[in-house]
This record gives sequence, structure tokens and C-alpha cells, in this order.
Amino acid sequence: MGNKRIINILKKEWHVQSRDLNSILFVTLLPLLIIGQALLIIWLVERFGGEAILANSVFQGAIENLRDALPAVSGLGIEGQLQVFLLSQMNVYLLIIPTMIAISFATFSIVDEKLSGSLEALLATPVRTWELLLSKALAGAIPALLVTWVCALVLILGVVGIGWGQTVNMIVTPSLFLSIFLLTPAVALLSFLLGVIGSSRAKDARSAQNIVLAIIFPVLAIIGLQVSGLIWLTPLLTLGLALGVAVLDVFILRIAVRLFQRESIVVKWH
Amino acid sequence: MAIVEAHGLTKAFDGFTAVSGLSLEVAEGEVFGFLGPNGAGKTTTIRMLAGIIAPTSGHAVVAGLRPDLEPENLHQHIGLLTENPGFYNRLSARFNLGFFAGFYSGFDIDHQVEKYLRMMGLWERREDKVGTFSKGMKQRLALVRALLHQPKVLFLDEPTAGLDPEAAHEVRDMIQELSVEGQTVFLSTHNLVEAELLCHRIGVVRTELLALDTPENLRRSLFRRQVVVELENPNPTLVSTIAGLPFVQKIEQAGNQFRLELTDPEVYRPELVKDIVEAGGRIMSVSEERHSLEDIYLSLVREEENSG
Repeated sequence: MGNKRIINILKKEWHVQSRDLNSILFVTLLPLLIIGQALLIIWLVERFGGEAILANSVFQGAIENLRDALPAVSGLGIEGQLQVFLLSQMNVYLLIIPTMIAISFATFSIVDEKLSGSLEALLATPVRTWELLLSKALAGAIPALLVTWVCALVLILGVVGIGWGQTVNMIVTPSLFLSIFLLTPAVALLSFLLGVIGSSRAKDARSAQNIVLAIIFPVLAIIGLQVSGLIWLTPLLTLGLALGVAVLDVFILRIAVRLFQRESIVVKWH
Repeated sequence: MAIVEAHGLTKAFDGFTAVSGLSLEVAEGEVFGFLGPNGAGKTTTIRMLAGIIAPTSGHAVVAGLRPDLEPENLHQHIGLLTENPGFYNRLSARFNLGFFAGFYSGFDIDHQVEKYLRMMGLWERREDKVGTFSKGMKQRLALVRALLHQPKVLFLDEPTAGLDPEAAHEVRDMIQELSVEGQTVFLSTHNLVEAELLCHRIGVVRTELLALDTPENLRRSLFRRQVVVELENPNPTLVSTIAGLPFVQKIEQAGNQFRLELTDPEVYRPELVKDIVEAGGRIMSVSEERHSLEDIYLSLVREEENSG
């Protein structure tokens, strides 16, 4: 019965989303623009700043990490090594997409229900709090995940398109697969759960966005750590990170249920 | 058999007591009116009984379940019409109903949606977005939503508030129809005409329960029954004759009209008529003064104000 109620909410959420052209354009075009922009920047950096980057001590550690993780990279020329190094950041960079979508959309999920008065009617049904919050998070996280996967595909096609096809077999690695199919779903769900928490605690969507904005920083931190050579997302580390975030998802869902104060929501919003 | 029981229900918010020590029972199949001025705790009580909020102290049993302990299970058995209809305005009426019905089991959603939309005169508008509906239509749609899963108890919080007279009439007709079918209804309202028309019993609340009985019993307990006699030719002799009758306890004159309190109106009303005619009085009309529910309500609330 729990599944039935979750699916019921998912269907409604997607029905609403599918009728909102602005949202559809935002969710589809923005990620593609992010990917396009990333490719452009990588291409420009490689073309105009390549040697400087390789000589920069900040990146030395990261490039060493890359060579350790992918010994075949050492066989490439300087240009090729730089291309692989820059493109290897994309497995983490892709995590920004569901996080950004969550900031924009999850924040509306509960606030909108409060404003329309539908939340009390919803709370008078047999739906349980965890089912409501999880389905609200999944309703955003699943499309965001699909969009991220499409972006990953576009990225690979883009790499071939800009003439770096020889690097594809070094980018499409177990790490990338683990990142896309395990870490990204876990991060997407985490982002949306945090968004739903923000939405359930805030007075309006803008306040919710302010609360939730902070969730992008851990993702940026991972990118920073990898670029600076402090960590390298090997398959094992990616797997560990994905499992860690998955455990965090369960923990955050429990916190979300505790923070979702039916009573104050119902009383203060009427 | 009681299907709604409240035992000392109390709810306080940040030091402010909204409901205090409320105890009552509602029988299965009864339409129970819950009356009180704004801020009297009607909505808070309904929310506690419906398992939306938990009491600070005391407890309730609704349809055999404790709302504070098993709210989700209870929601399978109750329908709640909130003050604000609360729909997804960008979705159609049918989609909205289908969505809310999707949380329940054991009935044919399409059949129930059609049955109640037709009953409420909304079937032709089923594919229209709820955002295009008038307030009255939304209220009727909310009533449909509360009924779809055939709840054992229907909680209605101000179901006709803000409706135009025609829409209010339709909603009242619907409640009457449900009453005939044996539906238990817990109706919160401050529309006294509505309560008198629909309810078997009423409870008057103002933070605490001030009174609980049938309108007739409350009327009797609060007001003495008065017989109103209109005479064509009242004169001092006739008035003193009437005042001297052994069963007349009190007499008030206002022009040709007399208000009389009799020791037992049922027994002595015919006697009174006979004695007036024998004394030469020409009677234009005889009636019994009925105090409205409004009189009862105002009397109770004012009494509470004065004592408080």
C-alpha cells in the first residue's frame, strides 16, 4: 500500500510538471547549457592555457593521480593528457545538475502545497509523512537523474564532436559508470530530500531556496578536492562515496520526517 | 453506539488554550452540530478528532481508533472537509479527485467519482481545471473528495462558509441526503439556521463545551415555554380574569398581545382558550413562542461571557 501511495504522488507530481512548460525548458535546457559551456571552457583552456596548467604546481598532484589511476594516460602526448585530465573532472561536474534542479524545484514542493491549502487535505488522507516526503523528493530526483544521464551522453558525443574522440575510452571508465549510476542517483535524492526539508520549513519558495542553496557546496568541494589533487575518484572511492551518500539519504529522510511538523504547518498556514 | 468520543480533549498553543477539557460522544448515523463563535476551538477540535493535530491532554476515539496514535489508519475511515478546499488548481476536477482517492482502497474510484460529481452537479465540469471553479463549486468538489471512500465519519468544517445562498442550499441538501442514508456527520458551523435544519444534536463550544443536547431540549432548559394570545378586545377586566387563572404563572401584555407562562402548556392551553372565551374575550390567534437556535446560542454564549 505504501508503494501505491508513493506512486500516486509521483503520478500527480509528474502530471503537474508535464504541464509546466517553463519548468520543462529549465530542466532540459539549463543542464545542456551547463554541459555545452563546460565543453567550451575545457576546449578553450586546453587550447590557450594547456602548457601553463601542466606547469602549474597546483595541478601537478591531480595529474599524478590521473596517471596512477589511468596508466595508459602516460602514453599520450601532453595535449592528450591535459584533455583527459580536464574531461575526467566531468564525472563530478555532472553532480551539479541534479543539485541545481533540486535547488530550483524541490524548494517549491511543500511550500506550494502550503500556499494552495492542499496540504491539509493531503494530510487527512492515509499517506504517511515519510511516503509524502520521499515521493516529493523522488518526483524531482528521477527526472533530474534522467536529465543528468542524457547530459553524460551529450558530453561524450560532444567530446567526439570537438575532435577528442581518442580520449573517449579513457573517460568512459568504471569510475564514470559508478559515478553516473550510483553516486549521481544518491546525490540527486540527497539534494531533493534537503530541498524538501527546506520547503517544509520555509515560509515561501524564496526562503526555501536560501536554505537549500548550501547543498551545492559539498559537490563543489569534491570538484575542488579532485582538481587540486587531494583526492582522486577511483572506482573504489566512488563506490564508497556513493554508498556513504545512500546511507546519508536514509538518515536525511528520517530527519526530514522529524522536522516535518504537521501541526505547525497546518495551524500556521491557515 | 458512539462512533466519535472525546475525553477531556485539551489543546494549547504556546500558552494559549484553544480547547479545554472537551468531552462528548456522537452516535453512529447522527448529524452532530458543533457551534461556536470564531476562535472558539471548533476547527482545532475537528483537527484533533481527525488526527491532524495531537491533543495536549485527553484523548479521542473515532471509528474505534485513537486519532493521536493511529492517524493514518483513522484516515481510511473518515472524510474531512477543511475550511479551505485546497485543490491543485492547474489540474482537472477529475484528476484531483482521482489523486486523493488513490490513497484509499476497497472501492471503484471511477464509479465513486462519477456518482458524487453527478450528485453535486459537477459532472459536466469534470475535465475543467479546478482553478476555473467558483468558491461554491470548489466547496462542493471538496465535499465529493471527502465522501469518495465512503467514510464512517464525515467531518465538515464550515461547509457553507463563503458560499452564495444557492450553493449553500445545495450543500445543505447534500448533507440532508447523507443523513437520510445514515452517514455520521460532525458539522462545525456558526450558521445557526443550518445547524437547526440539519443536526440531531448540537454542542455549543467556546474553548469549553457550554452545552450539549438536542435543540429542543436546550430550548426547554434555557427558556420557559410561553403561550402567545392575541385578543381583539382586551380590557382590564378580561386581563385581570386571565391573570387570576390558577394555572397562569406570569402574564405580559404588549398591546393586544399577551405572553403567558402556564404551569403546563400542554394541559392548560385548551383550558386557557375556553376560559378567555367564557370571559367574553375574542381570540385572534393562539401560538406557542418558539425560541430559535440563535436565541439558545446567544443565551449560552452571553451567559458564559458574563460568568467569565
